[in-house]
Amino acid sequence: MAYEITLLTAMGIAVIFALSLNLITGFCGQISLGHAAFYGIGAYCAAMITKSGLPFPLALAAGFLLAGMIGVVVGLASLRVRHDFLAITTMGVGFLFLGIVRQQDFLGGEMGLSGIPSSGLSKPAFMALVLIIAAAVTAFSLYLKRSWMGYVFDSVADDEDTARMLGIDVARYKLAAFAMGTALAGLAGGLYAHNIRFIDPDSFGFVESITVLAMVVVGGIGSVWGVILAAAVLSVLPLWLQFISDYKLLLYGALLFTVMRFSPNGMAGMVAALKGRSKSTAPGGKA
Amino acid sequence: MQENFIKATAFAALLSASAAVGLTGAAQADSIKIGINVPQTGFAAADGTSALIGAQLAAEQANANGGVNGKNVELVVYDDQASPKSAVPIATKLVEQDEVKIAISGSYSGATRAAAGVFQEAGVPYISAFAVHPEITRSGDYVFRTSFVGEVQGRAGAKLIGESLGKKKVTLITLKNDFGQSLANGFKEAAEQFGIEIISEYEYSIKDRQFGPIVAKVKSDAPDAIYASGYFFTAGPLVSQLRSGGIDVPVIGQEGYDSQKFIEIAGGASEGVIITTSLDRDSDSPEAKDFIAAFEEKAGYKADMVAASGHTAMKVAIAALREAGSEDPKAIRDAIAGLTLEASTGTISFNGLGEVRKDVQVQVVKDGNWHRHSIISDPDLLAPPEK
Amino acid sequence: MLAFELLLQGLVQGSIYALIAVGLTLVYGLLRILHVAHAGLFTLGGYIGVIVTNATGSLLLALLVAMPAMGLLGIGIYRTCYQPLLSRPPYVALIASIGLFIMMEELFRLIFGPYGLSFTAPPLQDTVAVFGVNLKEAELATMIGAVVLIGGLALLTLRTRIGTASRATVTDPKMAEAFGVNIGRIRDINFFVGSALAAAAGVMVALLNNLVEPTMGSVPSYKALAIIVLGGLGDLRGTLIAALALGVIEAYGTIYLGNLLDRDAIAFAFLIAVLMLRPQGLFGRA
Repeated sequence: MAYEITLLTAMGIAVIFALSLNLITGFCGQISLGHAAFYGIGAYCAAMITKSGLPFPLALAAGFLLAGMIGVVVGLASLRVRHDFLAITTMGVGFLFLGIVRQQDFLGGEMGLSGIPSSGLSKPAFMALVLIIAAAVTAFSLYLKRSWMGYVFDSVADDEDTARMLGIDVARYKLAAFAMGTALAGLAGGLYAHNIRFIDPDSFGFVESITVLAMVVVGGIGSVWGVILAAAVLSVLPLWLQFISDYKLLLYGALLFTVMRFSPNGMAGMVAALKGRSKSTAPGGKA
Repeated sequence: MQENFIKATAFAALLSASAAVGLTGAAQADSIKIGINVPQTGFAAADGTSALIGAQLAAEQANANGGVNGKNVELVVYDDQASPKSAVPIATKLVEQDEVKIAISGSYSGATRAAAGVFQEAGVPYISAFAVHPEITRSGDYVFRTSFVGEVQGRAGAKLIGESLGKKKVTLITLKNDFGQSLANGFKEAAEQFGIEIISEYEYSIKDRQFGPIVAKVKSDAPDAIYASGYFFTAGPLVSQLRSGGIDVPVIGQEGYDSQKFIEIAGGASEGVIITTSLDRDSDSPEAKDFIAAFEEKAGYKADMVAASGHTAMKVAIAALREAGSEDPKAIRDAIAGLTLEASTGTISFNGLGEVRKDVQVQVVKDGNWHRHSIISDPDLLAPPEK
Repeated sequence: MLAFELLLQGLVQGSIYALIAVGLTLVYGLLRILHVAHAGLFTLGGYIGVIVTNATGSLLLALLVAMPAMGLLGIGIYRTCYQPLLSRPPYVALIASIGLFIMMEELFRLIFGPYGLSFTAPPLQDTVAVFGVNLKEAELATMIGAVVLIGGLALLTLRTRIGTASRATVTDPKMAEAFGVNIGRIRDINFFVGSALAAAAGVMVALLNNLVEPTMGSVPSYKALAIIVLGGLGDLRGTLIAALALGVIEAYGTIYLGNLLDRDAIAFAFLIAVLMLRPQGLFGRA
């Protein structure tokens, strides 16, 4: 069972991480190419706290808060830029995070942080914790989507200028999305650090940011269940595909490409199309 | 409705995922399984491929010689992409589903460090072939390493420069990752002992191939020698650019350079570059000679340090299985700890922490090939950490 | 003296950035697509450069093969991958492009091997003195090549009918179409030219490093994006200046800030600082 538990734990963490980005990119329409930085902030923060002998729940909470606080700062800066400029700015934040961590001896620098204490939970219990948190984040996402805030996010994502004209304080809602999304990423990071129990800067790099964005987009941007499905599948796909080891990454790339090329609304769009109930946004190109 | 359908699909996928993974990996009774995690895809694929071929070679050789305890050795190979995140599930799978008796890492430090914890917890012996991170063996008493920790090799580099070559003013060019960092630490530790003054230090990232600015600055520093850490794909361009920038002082590297590909990339500039490593091309030992010939035949290219390390680690695993005479993990572990073995990388034995004790091979590029420069055998200087 | 050498080295690096980024900005200006797979064409250009040079001994021939071949492949990628996605939100094309780039990198590894390729007899490796500074011929050739190619491109866009049509399409596609510009053709031409420039950059990098690896495009894939943003997205002149500036900043940064931040972090710190002051990029129009 231990292997299934390991996989489900990894899936659960990926789901939390992907849903956290879905709040920012999916709900509020703010693209981020540096989300792994907040995952990393949560991981490093939580690991430092348990390493100093403090309890695991406190570490998770601290990772959540610190990532959220830094997320607000980055969010404030991001208010100045839009669209593709925002994508590149957030990408820059990711690289800056890596560059800074690499130089910090107290964070292990290049060597990473080893000897992160156990969470104190058995493996099944840790998995249960991860899945419960994933379920809670799912419930929160679903609630948010139907709430007043969710509708405002929708309008900001749709057309920022119109939303502003309608009297919506766009900046405030964007910040709220950033705060919630980055804090949850930090929470996922804290769980990751205590699952793998070894972290290094490269685990939170550009590739990781792209991977999580791919989960959100492949799942179907904004669709909670689609994102969960994509996160679950993409997070363990490389492990399932071991039997074709040499062609694994090729297939992963092909999957990203094919889904986007033939079903731009992601898996959620695919399912909808299968059921013949496509929300009929004008079909793109001549496909 | 639509949401519900996706919801159902998501749950179905999760369920079938957990069911599907449970069905794989039925054990074969007439073979002994040895697990290995190597990067076969992604940025570290080149080293992973070499290490894997080296390990496969050792397994084939053992099977051709009657196998182990009447059984054939079977390699169970998983691609970890050199990522800690993949290494943990892979280690778990090797332990639990494939029920390997012993496992080898042909991967880099991050993945090896993360996997070591899993093997230690499960009580399955784990041998790191060439990952340098000092924390790996500190995972516990089931974890061993057949290569030098970075610090040891860094100290050997200091001795080579300060004593053998007699150069005192040294510039460090350090690869910014765990490998380069631990080499630099070891070098600095021993520098004073050999009268070396480090006059400047520069860092570069593993992604860099253009070193023009560093070359320009090193030229104005005018050192007597350069100690530069890196892998063949960074060191090749680096050495070539140092030479064309007009810097002709000795360049000293380490096992990361150790590949024919380094000479191919740096071309004429590679002549005279000296490295500390584990594989002696001019060795008289039949082990090393056989390996060098057999590897080239199997792989189609010349043997390198990583290949020799994969081969050595596998040999240690097989020797331990034979020595233990059983498949009891504790017996296998004790057999490794007590082993003394002739391998392609020299005479191997382990200290209390599971770190290897062996001589450092110093190789130099001459006429487009690696050749013996000297051997450093200084048990005090090369003593690996004990805890 | 050192300062001058660092400047030259920065300009060499900047020239490479410029060759890659100019192609990217041509695509962006027309289609608003962040074309990550552009870096895949850069890598393949490098491979073709090494293979053809090794087979024939002629670097010039290698360039003449690599550039049009990548140009055509660029058009192919546009027609099959991006054209159907133009009406979608930009991140759709971005993720598709990333998927394509991952596939390309893996195909290079599977076809050409994980160790990469080198020239058997690398051309242009002698050093020449430029104002008292030693430069490799290949470095000099990179700078001259960038000036000639990008200068030629600038002349083309300013002085020819196609160039005028292209600029008109960037400014207002619908108006341009109304005036009889064949937009499809303009897009093909932009992809062709941009991809050919990336191929040239790939060959030059192969020369500088004497190595092409499957992952050679990974740094350009994101750094070129940063450069075109810095240059004001779609602005040719801005992109050129941003590329050269970034090369020079990295050169000085590696030496004087190397103990604080690595090369990438220096580049992106600069980028973020600029964007905070000028959210439309250095040369973008507000």
